[in-house]
This record gives sequence, C-alpha cells and structure tokens, in this order.
Amino acid sequence: MDSRLLEAFNHWFTISSNLLVMVGLIFFIKLPKSQKTNIKFWFPFIILAFTVSYENLGAYTNYNFEFKKSVNAFLGNIEYPRFNLWLYNVTERQIGALLFLGLIRMWLAPSQKRYITWMMYAFLAVVLFLKLTGMELMYLHQPIIFALGANMILIGCGLYFIGIITQEQYLESNPLKLISFWLMTFIMFTFSLSYISSVTLLYLYFVNPVLGKFLQNIGNFMTLMNLGVLTLTIASPFLPIQFEKEPSYESN
Amino acid sequence: MNPTEDQIYVIIFATLFLGGIMSTFVISMVFIHRQRQVQNRQKMDQIKSEHEKTLLNIENEIQQETLTYIGRELHDNIGQLLSLAKLNFGSLKENKREEGKEILSQAIQEVRGLSKQLNLDWVETLSINEFIAQQLERIQNTGFCEASLEADLELLDLPKDHKLVLIRVIQESLNNAIKHASPDKIHVSIYENGSSKHILIKDDGKGFDTSQDSQGSGMFNLRKRMETIGGQFELNSVIGKGTEITLTLPN
Repeated sequence: MDSRLLEAFNHWFTISSNLLVMVGLIFFIKLPKSQKTNIKFWFPFIILAFTVSYENLGAYTNYNFEFKKSVNAFLGNIEYPRFNLWLYNVTERQIGALLFLGLIRMWLAPSQKRYITWMMYAFLAVVLFLKLTGMELMYLHQPIIFALGANMILIGCGLYFIGIITQEQYLESNPLKLISFWLMTFIMFTFSLSYISSVTLLYLYFVNPVLGKFLQNIGNFMTLMNLGVLTLTIASPFLPIQFEKEPSYESN
Repeated sequence: MNPTEDQIYVIIFATLFLGGIMSTFVISMVFIHRQRQVQNRQKMDQIKSEHEKTLLNIENEIQQETLTYIGRELHDNIGQLLSLAKLNFGSLKENKREEGKEILSQAIQEVRGLSKQLNLDWVETLSINEFIAQQLERIQNTGFCEASLEADLELLDLPKDHKLVLIRVIQESLNNAIKHASPDKIHVSIYENGSSKHILIKDDGKGFDTSQDSQGSGMFNLRKRMETIGGQFELNSVIGKGTEITLTLPN
C-alpha cells in the first residue's frame, strides 16, 4: 500500500472516527426492527456515517493531490490547488448544518419544531443566494454561511434547553440521564468553539502555528466527542441503566 | 508585548470565555430544571391532595344526603307502615291480622333496602344510568314534576372516583332544579358526540341569570368538581326559559 495513503489516514482523528462509525454500525444492526425504523435512531446513524465519510474523503484528498487539483480546477480555483475547502464547505458547513438542524428539530416540542423548519428553509435560501451571486465561492472560506449555520444550530440548542425547563414531559425526567441532553450540549460546544477556530485558524497558522494546530485539535476533539455521543444515541437502548427513555411529545 | 501576541491572547481569552459561557449556560439549565422539577412535583402533590379532599367531601355529602333520605323514609314510609301494621295486629279480625303481617313484611323489605344505602358500596354496583333513573323516579314519585330519562348508551366501567363525582354533581344539579327552578318537567339525556360522552340535565323552570355571583358560586363548585376528574361542566340558563347543564365525561 502506498505510504502516502497510510500517512493520510494515519491520524488519531481519522482512526477514531472510523472506529466510532463501526461501533455505531454494529449497534444499529443489533437494534430491534421497530427502533431501526425510528427516526431517533436512524437519523443520528446517518449523520455519523455522513460525517465519517466526508472526513475520510477529506483525508483521501490530502493523499490524491491530482484529484483535489482537478476538482479545484473544475470549480475555477487554479490559485490554491492544495485547498480542499470545497469539500468541507458543502458537507460540513451546508449539508452538515442542515442535518444537525434536523437532528435538533427531532427533540423539540411540536410548537418549537416550526422555528427550526423555517430556519432550515431560510438557511437553504441564503446559501443558494450567496452561491448564485458569487458572494461566497465554493472553494474558499465561507464565513457568512458558516456563521449562519452555526448560529441557527446554537438557537436550536437554546430552544431544546428552554424545552427541558418548561415542558412537563422533560420536568419528570433527569436531564443528566437523557442522551438528547448530552447530544445538545456537545453540539452547542462544538459549534461555538469551532466558531472561533474557523475565524482565527488561518491567521494563527501564519503567526503561531503551534496554537493554530492546538485550536484545530480542539475542533477535531469536539467533533469526535459529537460522533461519540451520536454513537451512544444509537447504543442507548442497550444502556438502560445509564440512559432514561426519552420523553415523548406524541401523546400531546 | 507586541500586537501579534496581544491578538493571540485575545483569541485564547475569547475561546476560554465562550467555553465558560457555554458551561455556565448548561449548568444553569440543569439547576433551573431541578428547581422546576421540585416545583412541579409540589404542584402535582397539591393537585393530588385537592383531588382526594374533593372526593372525601363528596363522599361525606353523599352520605349526608343518604342519611337525610333514610330519615325521611323512616318517618314517612316505614314509620307509617309500622303504625298501620300495629293497628292491624290490634284488630280482632283474622284478615286484618294477615294484612298486618303483609305490611310488616313490606316494612322489613323497605328497611333492608335502606340499610344497603348506609355505606357507599352501592356506588360500585350501580351504574350511572341506574342512579339517574332512580333519582328521577324519586322525583316523579313525589309528584313534584314530571321526570324522564333518555339514554343512547350505558355508562359502565367508570372508575369509582369518577362515579362519585358524577353522582354528586347530578344529585346537586337535580336538587337545584327542584329547590330553585320549580319546573314542570326535568329531562335527562345521556348521549355520545364523537368520542366524548355527555349527560344533559334540562328543566323548563324559572331559569336564572348566570352572571350573578350568588347563583354562580354553587355552579363554580360543581364545575371544579367535574374538572378534578378531567371532565367539563357547562351551564346555560335563560330567565323564564329553564336551565341546561351539560356534563362532559373524561375520555
């Protein structure tokens, strides 16, 4: 095997994320059919699989420079052929943001779900507008799209936390034993910290690469924690002592 | 310290600050959740104790009503029967003494019937339909007014607390009609509307102004009692045109 390929994938983040998706897949296969078809289990699995897939593709682009260069050229980027931002822009910052909004929407009260639905439509509209007008190029940093997505996700998390202190179903349970609580907490931390990371990363790589690397590692660690909680969400029916059954709004 | 160093410190500080804010937010949410959970439990306990108190009051009221009824029956019915039996037994004629025996048997039957009403076990054996029919028969027998029942369904399998509340509310509604409305006719109907079941108590009496407090307080009590079992109480009354009470049973 090519040593560069091994090098590209031989990173603690790539190895750990792939291990997590495998664990997630095993638990998902072991789930009873009724839970496999339940959105609260298959949707986190989709996000987990999607995230690990684009991270692997990201690692692959670092190995296959020609592929990366040809995609950049196709998008009109001849200046920076080493960039693989196009991949993260589409997957993490656009599709990922929509998937996370969908995940948050799933845990909200019916009255709050419509806010997230509108946010998703608004996000999609703004992304299309910015792309069609060329205000944010696919192959360069997209600060507006990232900030909009992250803010919407943070608002969604806020709505969830408001729900746990106001909705009777949540008042009857212990939040520390709810997988949705940990999921929202980690999503909130990941997106708020990656905010700073995204804004300062390029600058820090120029002036203090050690700190830049450290900040990127924090971002990677938080993403990994997120993937871990997504795996735990799929595995939660097998851990009844650690996690309580999620309150349901369906009876309302 | 140069400007670049300053900016690095700002970045580190901003990261720590944001992390701190997020942590504080999550911890505060957990604390607020705990506080609200305690308040919610207290509220639930209060509702439960109020429900139990209401049921106890209702049981007492039903027993009081039953005792009043028994007292009246002892005086007006059994007392009369026993006096008549005594007169017959005092007669020298054989057929009068036989008649006395029959009257005595009747009095014994009446006493047995009354003794069954002294505890609340009858609530469990009697259906709401039977209870209403019994109440209307009593009203009819007094000759006070005409009373009729029309039932599209039989209200069976109701929990005891629901039954107690319904019995008391129906009893009180009928009593109110007799005491205050002077109707010529009282009509009760039991019907189903979609998935909900209703009891309609209608009289053609004097009616009253529902906005007046003096009339409203008793009705407020009945409404509250229906609400304790998850039901509804609706009142419509027009002066000179009678009163309509609709009880919606809990699903």
